[in-house]
Amino acid sequence: MNQELLEKLSECVEFGKINLASPYPPQMKGLPGADEITKEALEAGVTPTEILNDALITAMNKVGQKFSENKIFVPQMLLSAKAMSASMMHLKPFFANGSVKRKGTFILGTVYGDLHDIGKNLFGMMVEGAGWEVIDLGIDVKIEKFVEAVLQNPHAVVGISALLTTTMVHMKPVIDAIRIAVPETKIIVGGAPLSAEFASSIGADGYGKNPQEGIMWLDKISA
Amino acid sequence: MSFQSFHFTFAEVAPTFNEILDFLKSSDLEDEHPAVVFIRDILSELNFDAGISGGYILKRIESLNVKKGIIKIENQELNLGRQVCGYIKEATQIALFLCTAGEDFTRMTNQLNEQGDIMEAYILDAIGSLTVEKAMDRIQESLKNEFGGKGFKISNRYSPGYCNWSLSDQKALFHLIGENQTGITLSDSCLMTPRKSVSGIIGIGEHLKHHEYGCVICNNSTCIYRKILHE
Repeated sequence: MNQELLEKLSECVEFGKINLASPYPPQMKGLPGADEITKEALEAGVTPTEILNDALITAMNKVGQKFSENKIFVPQMLLSAKAMSASMMHLKPFFANGSVKRKGTFILGTVYGDLHDIGKNLFGMMVEGAGWEVIDLGIDVKIEKFVEAVLQNPHAVVGISALLTTTMVHMKPVIDAIRIAVPETKIIVGGAPLSAEFASSIGADGYGKNPQEGIMWLDKISA
Repeated sequence: MSFQSFHFTFAEVAPTFNEILDFLKSSDLEDEHPAVVFIRDILSELNFDAGISGGYILKRIESLNVKKGIIKIENQELNLGRQVCGYIKEATQIALFLCTAGEDFTRMTNQLNEQGDIMEAYILDAIGSLTVEKAMDRIQESLKNEFGGKGFKISNRYSPGYCNWSLSDQKALFHLIGENQTGITLSDSCLMTPRKSVSGIIGIGEHLKHHEYGCVICNNSTCIYRKILHE
């Protein structure tokens, strides 16, 4: 029964079935969505950790994989993220009271001079779904704001995003400043114009070509 | 010469249903997919007519140095970079442009994001991007018609932040454009408000050669100019 609920929930997130009222996907019309199934699972005694690990993370991994293979695109991925958020709303109290342990804290922001946020937001949602606490600093984030966030969360991992060739050059000064503030901070960078070589050349520890790669890197360093 | 202003209604510059789907790489989505439903609904509802405006001001190019990537206008330098300078090297005049889809797009996108409608917010943001580019297409067409009759050609449009033209040059560009009716302002980080705005240059010259955008040498797969090239 519990396993069945987890599988149903995973399917809802994978295909973007948010709640009972959501008419999509057509084959799930009139059925409970991620919202109701999560509630039902908790009431049936499924633990929040099981919901997170065996339904949400599993589903978002599939979504991420399909996205990285160009089988789905941003709208489908956002719909899945929306379904995941509907489920996460029920888990938040367990994160808050510490009964579900997060993998860590992830500080995220788009570098200063750059206002692009879709990739950042998408990655933030994927990271949250993967069991991390996400602190989203927003777009056009100045060096000082990154440093302040790292000083307040000295064990956090940092993600920096840029979407322009002319703003990705702002990443290195951010990394340098974070390294001065908290030298052991792990930093991952991402964004359309970047490459693994560029990431390495500016001193980043990781590079996410797509959200899926970023999650895999986070899993590796948190293991 | 003063700033030539243009104003548009949303209906005049709205992207089509198919253009939006193409932009989102979502042409294959089923009719009942929420993204498709939202696009269809929002296109009939949007009435963002007040703020869609733009225009250009013409300036004579005093000097152009491709090697240094600099042009001089009214004794002020614009550091376009070698790539953009190379594209407009035969230009004798330049149109400095601004265009905005208005504040309504940002306001409504923020509202959707706040209520957790992230997919809808993303789509509206994309419609805003396409709207401002379509408005700018109309302005560019007007410029082409004006100068085409006089035997001049015009270049593609180029913007700070793209094609290796530094974003920090926005300040010099805005200074040269001066007073205008678009209401676009610049932040310390050289970002424009309203968010759905574009700025840049178009080269004009009798012997100007047409150059494609340099997408083949750029990794930015989501750049709006790459989209234009592919259309």
